[in-house]
Amino acid sequence: MEVDRELVEAAQAGDRWALEELVRRTHRSVYTCALRLVGNPDDAADVTQDVYLRVVRKLGGFRHEASFSTWLNRVTTNVAMSTLKRRTRRFAVEGAAVPADTRDPAPEPAERAEAIALARRLELLVAGLPEGQRQVLVLRDVYGQSTEEVANAMGLTPGAVKVRLFRARERLKAELEATEGGQVVALAGRRRATGRRS
Amino acid sequence: MTTCHNIRPLLPARAEELSLFEIHTRAEHVADCARCATEAAAYSRLGQALAVMANLEVDPADGTLERVLVAIGRRRTGVTDPRILAAAGSAGALVATVVVARAVRSRRRSRRRPSGPWSRRLRLPNLPVPTPALARAK
Repeated sequence: MEVDRELVEAAQAGDRWALEELVRRTHRSVYTCALRLVGNPDDAADVTQDVYLRVVRKLGGFRHEASFSTWLNRVTTNVAMSTLKRRTRRFAVEGAAVPADTRDPAPEPAERAEAIALARRLELLVAGLPEGQRQVLVLRDVYGQSTEEVANAMGLTPGAVKVRLFRARERLKAELEATEGGQVVALAGRRRATGRRS
Repeated sequence: MTTCHNIRPLLPARAEELSLFEIHTRAEHVADCARCATEAAAYSRLGQALAVMANLEVDPADGTLERVLVAIGRRRTGVTDPRILAAAGSAGALVATVVVARAVRSRRRSRRRPSGPWSRRLRLPNLPVPTPALARAK
């Protein structure tokens, strides 16, 4: 998600077209991040709307110290975490939570094709992680937030973030190896046996 | 000597999450241990694929974009740049000051200006100017 600085500045100055264009260009990215964090398409759509309402309120204070996409990711994280705190019900996040039509907007260079194919497989495995592990992993490893930022967003200590991160990576690697080895059936059995630890 | 058991918690970590000592210890062990080297390579590959996920996007359900645009259209204040808001505020304050000043001035003028000849205060040059009672007492 790349956004021109001029477009952001025009939106900051009150240009309605620029603001709408900003939403058009970024809403898929915001929705995807929200979906990875909340694990449910309906909640992700609500989070997406709330993110842009917050963006309208706070855009004037954006100083271009970080990139707009980084700032937008932080806003999305905060809104998603607030939504999760309010949410009383818990969703069983299975692999199907992330739609299969995940797409890559950039052209695929040959050397990245394998990594992209792997990332698409990972999308489903990540969605199957326990909620706490999934959120930490998504914020840290997918969106590159620091351990401290993740801890602040989730109301955890940095130590707790590291523990969840370790478990999430370990589990994800094991599941990835199992699926790659054609051991999907064994994986499903192991998932049932281990249950949902976070 | 560092054992595989000791190194195992360090294998999934990124370099920036480790101390210099831990980085050095892990590198030394991985150089000599094929099993841990394979594990470390798998985590590295996993990390790269997870980073690639940031560029993958999911299409939201139909109507999500329109819903967002309607919502922000309702909430939008028009101008959000604080510099423009500050300039508009200053201009507003200036206009308000001018309006109030003119109102006060016109009110003073209307007090000074008599409404008819019978109410005109005549100044008689040889008569003492009336003074308030308090001033007289002093």
